[in-house]
Amino acid sequence: MSEMMNDLEALAREQVKPFAFSRPYWEATRQKKLLVQYCRRTGQYQFYPRPTSVFTGRRDLEWREVSGAGEVFSYTIAQRGRGPFRGHEPYVIATIKLDIGINVIGNLVHCKRDDLRIGLRVVPCWTPLPGGEHILMFEPARQAASKTAGAGRPAAQKRQSS
Amino acid sequence: MALRDAAIVAYAETKIVEKSDRDIWDIGAEILESLLDKTGIDKAEIDGMLVNAALTGAGNCFWAQSTVDYLGLELEFLQSVDIGGCSAAGAVARAAAAIDTGLCSTVFLLNADTPVAENNLNLRSYVREWSTPHGIIGPPADFGLLATRYAHQFGLDYTSLAKLAIAQRNHAILNDNACEKLRKPISVDDYLNSRMIAEPIRLLDCVMPCDGGNGLLVMSRAQAKRKGLDKHVVPIGYGEKTNLSPGTNIVDVTVSGHAAAGQKAFKTAGIAPKDVGSFHPYDDFIIAIMIQLEMLGFCKHGQGCSFIKNTDFNFDGDLPLNTSGGQISAGQAGLAGGGTNLIEGVRQLFGEAGARQVKNTNNAVVTGIGHIPYGRNWGTSVVLVLAPGN
Repeated sequence: MSEMMNDLEALAREQVKPFAFSRPYWEATRQKKLLVQYCRRTGQYQFYPRPTSVFTGRRDLEWREVSGAGEVFSYTIAQRGRGPFRGHEPYVIATIKLDIGINVIGNLVHCKRDDLRIGLRVVPCWTPLPGGEHILMFEPARQAASKTAGAGRPAAQKRQSS
Repeated sequence: MALRDAAIVAYAETKIVEKSDRDIWDIGAEILESLLDKTGIDKAEIDGMLVNAALTGAGNCFWAQSTVDYLGLELEFLQSVDIGGCSAAGAVARAAAAIDTGLCSTVFLLNADTPVAENNLNLRSYVREWSTPHGIIGPPADFGLLATRYAHQFGLDYTSLAKLAIAQRNHAILNDNACEKLRKPISVDDYLNSRMIAEPIRLLDCVMPCDGGNGLLVMSRAQAKRKGLDKHVVPIGYGEKTNLSPGTNIVDVTVSGHAAAGQKAFKTAGIAPKDVGSFHPYDDFIIAIMIQLEMLGFCKHGQGCSFIKNTDFNFDGDLPLNTSGGQISAGQAGLAGGGTNLIEGVRQLFGEAGARQVKNTNNAVVTGIGHIPYGRNWGTSVVLVLAPGN
């Protein structure tokens, strides 16, 4: 059986210290909502949050809630974690191309090594921080579909196996 | 005046060590003394200085001034160069510009760093919100994302990358200043079987953090001539690009600013990739060398692996590559590491590379990579073309 990547659920997450202009993003994660900056002049989203539009240099940005669905753009399997990640290897760090046209980096969880491929459809999932905010992660779209259907997560995916 | 009116009249370098038992300013003092001894220049004649932003100096916003104070210099021009791994090569162009505008006439370029002994880095950047919380273990994970994408777009033959690693390792064995721990031969299997750090990045893809320093003395060619410093090296081409395509959300991460920087540098120098005598690309990861070969036009985009297969990168081969071992096999002296490959390019053109001396000393090409942005390619890319001045 293909090796299961760590789901990072047992990780003791450290609180994130946001810059002031990122706060709307982090506040929204309390409700597991994904807010992304939107530049009205160019009709484009941008990520990560910045104090200005990277397209125009103007500051008339707005925050929009998005679904976070997308596909894997690239990935790496971390075998040497640092800080709280030490001992939780192997875990996946992926660049996800969201359908709204931005690249977002996050952990890809509930995923086997053999499932990993560029183009894999993914959806957001969230893991809590001590302060009530959440960290955005991603999981294969089919996992989310099976959870919605009440099937739960197969037990085999909870453990690491080879 | 122009870039090529500047002259590098001397170079200096310490041995690269796993962990320094000497202070960073002691290393700077050794470099200064060596440059004075080599040129016969009096300390009082140095009226300009460029200092690399160092991991040891991070957190001290008076870093350059403190360094000058400890070295006892009196200056008319001082600048910290903080474009990461591009600082060393970037400093050569900045020194030429400072001399050109009359800010100063004799410039000491110092690159020193001791991050293993004393690392004071505290990044105020996207890293704290968007990178560290996802367990990104620094550059190896960023290069893992880059390598996976490259493999997807073009295919990636790891034996080609092994060939680059081996060529550089063989050069480090010939370099007494390389970190001793790394001066042992490696095979293709050693490379392929080295443990994974951030798949597909292996241990032997990565630099080993080390401590050390290097430096140059730059003045106008006219002044070098007056001083009888006839043997010198001249910057004949330079290009620099920072933050490529910030207004494009989904970028091709296999494209770097070296394409634009290289084009400008080669055009100014009046040479083409086929004319390059020796190539000293910034090497924090092996795949970075291949991408730079593509970006600088040695081969087409995506054809790096086959180019590597058909090219001899040894010092006596078709395209001598990082003939002192590069940072990957000589050790990366923190943010002074960009100077390791620069110094070797200068040394080759001085004809002082001993057992690893290249035949073609018409020119040497040195590059830099500095900073890794979020989900993109590299922060700054520089390309510097050097030629003998005599």
